[in-house]
Amino acid sequence: MSSGIRVASLDDIPEGEGIAIDKSVTGTADDIALLRDEDGSVWALDDTCTHEDASLADGWVEGGYVECPLHSSKFCLKSGEVQNLPATKNACPHRVEVRDGEVYLFPNEAP
Amino acid sequence: MSVRVGRVVVVGGGVAGVSTVAALRSGGFDGELTLVDAGEFPYDRPPLSKEFLAGKKDLQQIALQPPQWYDDRAVRLVNRAVVTAVRPDLAAVELAGGGTLPADRVVLATGGHAARPPIPGGDDPRVHVLRTAEDAAELRAALVPGARVLVVGGGLIGAEVASTAVDLGCEVLLADPAPRPLAGAVGDEIAAWLHGLHARRGVTTVHAAVESFASAAGGLEVRLTGEDEARVVDVAVLGVGMVPETSLAAAAGLDVDRGIVVDEHQVTSNPAVLAVGDPARTRRDGALLPRTEHWEAARLDGERAAAAILGRTAPATSAPWFWTDRHGLHIEAVGDMASADRVVVRGLLGEPPFSAFGLRGDHVVGAVAVEDSTAVRAARRMIDRAIPVDPVPLADTAVELKKLLRR
Repeated sequence: MSSGIRVASLDDIPEGEGIAIDKSVTGTADDIALLRDEDGSVWALDDTCTHEDASLADGWVEGGYVECPLHSSKFCLKSGEVQNLPATKNACPHRVEVRDGEVYLFPNEAP
Repeated sequence: MSVRVGRVVVVGGGVAGVSTVAALRSGGFDGELTLVDAGEFPYDRPPLSKEFLAGKKDLQQIALQPPQWYDDRAVRLVNRAVVTAVRPDLAAVELAGGGTLPADRVVLATGGHAARPPIPGGDDPRVHVLRTAEDAAELRAALVPGARVLVVGGGLIGAEVASTAVDLGCEVLLADPAPRPLAGAVGDEIAAWLHGLHARRGVTTVHAAVESFASAAGGLEVRLTGEDEARVVDVAVLGVGMVPETSLAAAAGLDVDRGIVVDEHQVTSNPAVLAVGDPARTRRDGALLPRTEHWEAARLDGERAAAAILGRTAPATSAPWFWTDRHGLHIEAVGDMASADRVVVRGLLGEPPFSAFGLRGDHVVGAVAVEDSTAVRAARRMIDRAIPVDPVPLADTAVELKKLLRR
């Protein structure tokens, strides 16, 4: 098992917000959104909304969910499960670890 | 205590109907669940004036749910079917062709149809409306490059169609008797700027209503109010509102008043029948509220109806929200800008991203954002949680809106 890719410092992601990590860094098909909930926890989902071309890293992060900035479909931060229309497909989640204030991403590993 | 309901029939496969079905199953409803839809399968309507009209998406790509979704949830989708009568006295609905479906509860998600005001010559086949995928497909066929297109109505649908038609290379004339369409929804200043976007994209805008259409050499002749000479176009589109479909409800003896009258749980005057989406009109504290015709309102109606059937507490209400897209810009609005006594602009009006917050006293009552949906999401929470705000930091783009929520 890999030790993950160091992709950001925790301080780079304000609580309740997200940042997108480029797919050239993650090696995944899509960019990955690092999303920091208001309790400080960090989660990772495929960045592009499963409905249309919107970045979930630009979404509203609150209470365990991210709300897409275009049409407000909500996704569970932990599982990627879609909560409401118009999106119908779940977002792909990735495992994240925070060690010593640094955020490590494990692309395509289940959280 | 709730009474156990065994069989639910939802009439209409728009976002309200599909959301009702989804919320019933996710809420644990394990009885028979049937969705009756006139089309091949339920599809989403917002793209009909945008990606679908532009030919960038086909019907499958705007399906509200993938085909498997209905099977996975044991939802019986009765497609290409028309309900001819709702019979709560017989616990059934009747279908065209003679069939019946047993129903302990019926949810009317019947939507409506596009308004066609009685304009002389308005029955010409070149005069289109836009409500269904069939309407959109017919209109798309007429929106060929160079076509002279008259869009009647500068509201949400009209503006989106004008934008799509320009993208397709049409020559577009947009007529609305109001100088600033949508002013009630987004405020005067933003409405004026939004309407002005059309001219910047090469759309000719006129403040006029249509007096008549007539067939003429070389096209469709249009007479506009205040103009001496007729104009000639190839195609016209009426974007002048919708008429709620209430005939099933009326025939079933339900209370109908320019909408199917429902209580705050979407229940009609007959406790076995509920109504959701565009045709539903809520009576609250004895007063009939205006119908809401927005996408999310329909979705939330469905969740409320499901909660009522399941005997659960209704989900929390939230300030009404809608989005629209025109000329490459994403616009959102929340709350009620018309009830504001002052407007605070965040950013530079006219230079997206920017937003405008409508305040009444020290409370936000509405907001509009262009390319800045975070502002509208923040505003929605300020409204829902009744958080007082200071207009100075609200206007300051260096201040994060989330910070204002934590006060």
